[in-house]
Amino acid sequence: MIALDSVDVSVGGQKILHGVSMEAPAGKLTAIIGPNGSGKSTLLKALCRDYDYSGTIFLDGRDIAKMSPVEIAGLRAVLPQSSNLPFPFTVREVVAMGLTAGRPGVHPRALQHLPEEALARVDLAGFGARFYGELSGGEQQRVQLARVLCQVWEPVIDGVPRYLFLDEPVSSLDIKHQLMIMDVAKRFARSGGGVIAVLHDLNLTALYADGITALREGKVVASGRPETVLTDRVLEAVFDVPLKVGAAPRPGTPFVLPQSVHLSGAMHVA
Amino acid sequence: MASTMSLPARALTRPAGEAAARPAGDRSHIGRITVIGLGFALLLAMVLSMTTGASGASAINLILHWLGFGTDDTAALRDYAVIVNIRMPRMILGVLIGAGLAVSGLLMQGLFRNPLADPGLVGVSSGAALGAVVIIVLGGTALAPFTTALGIWSLPAAAFGGGLVTTFVLYRVATRSGQTAIATMLLAGIAIAALAGAFSGVLTYLASDNQLRDLTFWGMGSLAGATWIKVLSAGPIIFVALVVAGFLGKGLNAMTLGEATASHLGVPVQRFKRVTIVAVAAATGASVAVSGGIGFVGIVVPHLLRLVIGPDHRYLLPASALLGATFLLFCDALSRTIVAPAELPIGIVTAAFGGPFFLWILLHRRSAFAW
Repeated sequence: MIALDSVDVSVGGQKILHGVSMEAPAGKLTAIIGPNGSGKSTLLKALCRDYDYSGTIFLDGRDIAKMSPVEIAGLRAVLPQSSNLPFPFTVREVVAMGLTAGRPGVHPRALQHLPEEALARVDLAGFGARFYGELSGGEQQRVQLARVLCQVWEPVIDGVPRYLFLDEPVSSLDIKHQLMIMDVAKRFARSGGGVIAVLHDLNLTALYADGITALREGKVVASGRPETVLTDRVLEAVFDVPLKVGAAPRPGTPFVLPQSVHLSGAMHVA
Repeated sequence: MASTMSLPARALTRPAGEAAARPAGDRSHIGRITVIGLGFALLLAMVLSMTTGASGASAINLILHWLGFGTDDTAALRDYAVIVNIRMPRMILGVLIGAGLAVSGLLMQGLFRNPLADPGLVGVSSGAALGAVVIIVLGGTALAPFTTALGIWSLPAAAFGGGLVTTFVLYRVATRSGQTAIATMLLAGIAIAALAGAFSGVLTYLASDNQLRDLTFWGMGSLAGATWIKVLSAGPIIFVALVVAGFLGKGLNAMTLGEATASHLGVPVQRFKRVTIVAVAAATGASVAVSGGIGFVGIVVPHLLRLVIGPDHRYLLPASALLGATFLLFCDALSRTIVAPAELPIGIVTAAFGGPFFLWILLHRRSAFAW
């Protein structure tokens, strides 16, 4: 369980997060949604200790401010939005960096081929010898995910769950790989690990999230199961757009139809 | 060098089946083979360095004499003096300084996430030189208590201090939230070098005639004045810095992903940066203190090795130390023989290799620096 208790974050004198409290249990995929500038990425950076914060953040009941970098690296891995590398590393070398600090939790003999397995999981089998800098943005994002997976390969070690923090993991991916990467994240949660993902796509959120925290202007507007957060009323309060939530194609799965804005006529100014 | 490298390469070749199991894109075997090959190359260079020079002293004759084959006792005594008192300290200093400069360059490139960072280019050597000039000029008067207290270590200690201050200032100026702007770094380096040069100029103006002679020869960059005293004063500092650097490989790899990601991977980033900066300043400072400004080793050697074994710092670190030492011994041998019986300051030889090489990097890899 990742738990935040009244977390405030200021960046450059400006207060970005105001008393954010939320929980992300192990075994669940928790999505953070909200408009641009609502503080989603800032929240994730506070979780990673990239930003100073006031308040408390707990990882399985322990205050992360009191843990060492190595200790935390064995319990959670972080997928950044983008990474460029100043030196010509191969894809395999980048993925293997995930092995150097974390605790993959596999047998030493399996360790040697873990980067290949991780690459296969993000649909990049055979890309090991390519240079990272020569890949497309979406491919680079998947390479980074493979590296992150290596760091916490087994979602649970000795009964202790581990966590994945994903900052817009599907932002530059095509639809096939969006679904594939969300499947990887979901599978990690199903196996007992915890996932916190900043997501922009409300339909993917509806499809994959077990819990949703919605932010607006640095405050939690709504938090809970998808059915309770993805409602017309909450979404309008969060995004300032009169969205309509439907419930097709699969019964019970909410989905958001941007076209509904036009249907209702609310966005027609002229 | 090529012939020495093929030996271990053959010895290490695995059976075909095992080689096929090596994952694609894994270059660690190339790194290991290169390090071993460079080890042999350095041994060869050390032997050559001991056996060549302006005098006809021959290590082989000396060994033969000890074994009882020689007859000429005076020649043996003279050879002994040349080899043990002149060539040996020079060879040891060459190895340590070459390794120290190459590793300093590599550490800075990793720290700044930038293949153009080099202590000589960005003003660290100038800062170290200022520290050394201060001691040469003021060591006998205003700073006498300092030089008395530290003895032979006062010169390298002052150069270390100068290098430390400049590296720290440079890092503060050029790096914002883990990203180094290359233009800012190079320009800050120019400003720092100019400032250090101005202070050195004032001190030079104050210097006596004898001190001026010392300053001139020292500033040209040379191993010619190598003595056991210099080995003893700078050697331990460079050696410790090299040993510390050996533990920084994994962290430097993680740092290439950016400071935030390195910290997510478990690197204690702030402490790591401090250790790296101190190691750079120590190795550069001690090298500058005993040899003056020997440029370009820190940029040529790591760059060349990155082309061969890739950017994995776990292999780049030992390989740079070995190739840096070999390269400097090679340049030293050239400097001693090219205008024999006189000799060229080694800084001129390394610059003659390094300058064109640097331009070549800029021409061929321009796209890599265009951010």
